[in-house]
Amino acid sequence: MKNQKLRRLLAAPELIVAPGAYDAWSARLVEFSGFPVIYMTGYGVSASTLGQPDIGLITMSEMIAQVRNISACTSIPLIADGDTGYGGILNVVRTVAEYETAGASAIQLEDQLFPKRCGHMEGKQLIPQAEMISKIKAAVHARKDPDFVIIARTDARAVEGFPSALSRAQAYADAGADVIFFEAPQSVDEMRDVAKTIAKPLLANMVEKGKTPLLTGKELTALGFKIAIYPVSALYAATKNVLALLASLKEQDTTAGFADGMVSFPQFNELVGVDKARALESSFVEGDEKRQ
Amino acid sequence: MERKTTVLKRLLHAPKLLVVPGVYDALSAKIAEQAGFQGAIMGGYSVSASVLGEPDVGYLTMNEMLYSLKRICDATTIPIFADGDTGYGNAMNVRRVVREAEQAGASAIFFEDQEWPKRCGHMEGKRVIPLEEHVMKIKAAIEARTDPDFIIMARTDARSVNGLDDALRRAKAYSEAGADALFIEAPQSAAEMKLIAQVLDKPLMANMVEKGKTPLLSADELEQMGYALVVYPVSAVYAVAKTLSELFRQLKQEGTTQNCLGRMIPFAEFNTIIGLPEYNETQKRYAHSSCKQLGAKERL
Repeated sequence: MKNQKLRRLLAAPELIVAPGAYDAWSARLVEFSGFPVIYMTGYGVSASTLGQPDIGLITMSEMIAQVRNISACTSIPLIADGDTGYGGILNVVRTVAEYETAGASAIQLEDQLFPKRCGHMEGKQLIPQAEMISKIKAAVHARKDPDFVIIARTDARAVEGFPSALSRAQAYADAGADVIFFEAPQSVDEMRDVAKTIAKPLLANMVEKGKTPLLTGKELTALGFKIAIYPVSALYAATKNVLALLASLKEQDTTAGFADGMVSFPQFNELVGVDKARALESSFVEGDEKRQ
Repeated sequence: MERKTTVLKRLLHAPKLLVVPGVYDALSAKIAEQAGFQGAIMGGYSVSASVLGEPDVGYLTMNEMLYSLKRICDATTIPIFADGDTGYGNAMNVRRVVREAEQAGASAIFFEDQEWPKRCGHMEGKRVIPLEEHVMKIKAAIEARTDPDFIIMARTDARSVNGLDDALRRAKAYSEAGADALFIEAPQSAAEMKLIAQVLDKPLMANMVEKGKTPLLSADELEQMGYALVVYPVSAVYAVAKTLSELFRQLKQEGTTQNCLGRMIPFAEFNTIIGLPEYNETQKRYAHSSCKQLGAKERL
């Protein structure tokens, strides 16, 4: 069971490194590369499925479709971004139930306001702490498998400052969240303070060139973090490489010069599992029908 | 052939009242068309019940609504009104809903000024967003449509929250923002309905919910008052709920449907409603030599 596997990983001393996937294929590559857990990013899913920025256009149904696609083709636990739960308390209840059914092993819920009242307003807006506590309790109530993990994220650091964010994190831990995601601490000292204060497993968000210093796995472990996600790394790497490919095709009128930037046909077939699929098909075919 | 949106626009501006039943799936929509109605409205209340089996408390996602909308539009040739709820978010979400509803084949959509998400169900009564915010949603909806005949209808729920004066003020503002038609939800008397029709100058919709807050008026009365459109959003789903409750109770009690036949439509009639004769006709056009090997029975 994937849920129990994630619980075991949470109980073990090692840091869980979970690279971000935005579709089934990137998730397969995370597993193929030997990581223990996949992180599904809403930011990436919005870009991949809608071609739009992460401004709240993606719906719960669209996120669930992606959770299902990812969990169906992989065998390691999936932590899925559940944004705000797509509404109020009742929406959180439905979102948790649907994510669990779709095959996620953990859902991440944040205390941002949805929908934002006005797109012009730069920066985040938060819901009151009491409302988020209700949402976390609703999420805990909604899960069927007690091993399904509820991750509470607070975005308060950038809005209300460090002390307020820390007290929100503590309140969310007390409300029953299994893991705390303190978004965007601005220094190693802040990260250390979070780890000292919060007794629940902590998630660190490693966004390249974000507000939080990029630390190594060893450093994060030493600070007391339990999970490190790299939500946008794969998305940005894929974007850069596709842009380079397309620029090269435009410029050179051929893709011949870009061969090193791509996997080969046999490599891709191996990654996507053509041989396995053929072997499975052939195992159900008998006698004369067998073409091999 | 005239587009459905153009047909609807003409019907809305015609002197005669347009009577529109509520539908919630492809079958109920087909039945409405065959009963001779010139349009049908898909409401979130009944779709939530049909698709999720849950109350209309905001569970239904935009995609689920659009999926039902597309099924209904595909199954009919009459214009379909879509329920856009609050637009599932802010003005940016409204834009997306309009595009998707147009693509699904709807001819009209209405957006309400209720707060979303419903923050807490315990809080009795609705809450409305500021007038200015809904004005921007209406503008966003108009800018997002690709067919100028696609009807954007503005609904205000302010009557029960802030009173009739505020509801009228809002309806006027939404009208000035460019809404093609207006809908003041839940006026509480015939006098209020009359006043609304006197004050507002866009095509008006009346919502006839049986045992709701608004008196049930006849089509003649509504037409005289000046309404362009009357909808009966929940009648079909309530009729179905009652029929099925009684049918299942009888089956449970008696262990047979022998005494329920009067409640049910006969096999042949159902096949006609669902379109089997047309299907068979069309299929004949693709007959080929190997079809002859199959007898008539096998093809059924």
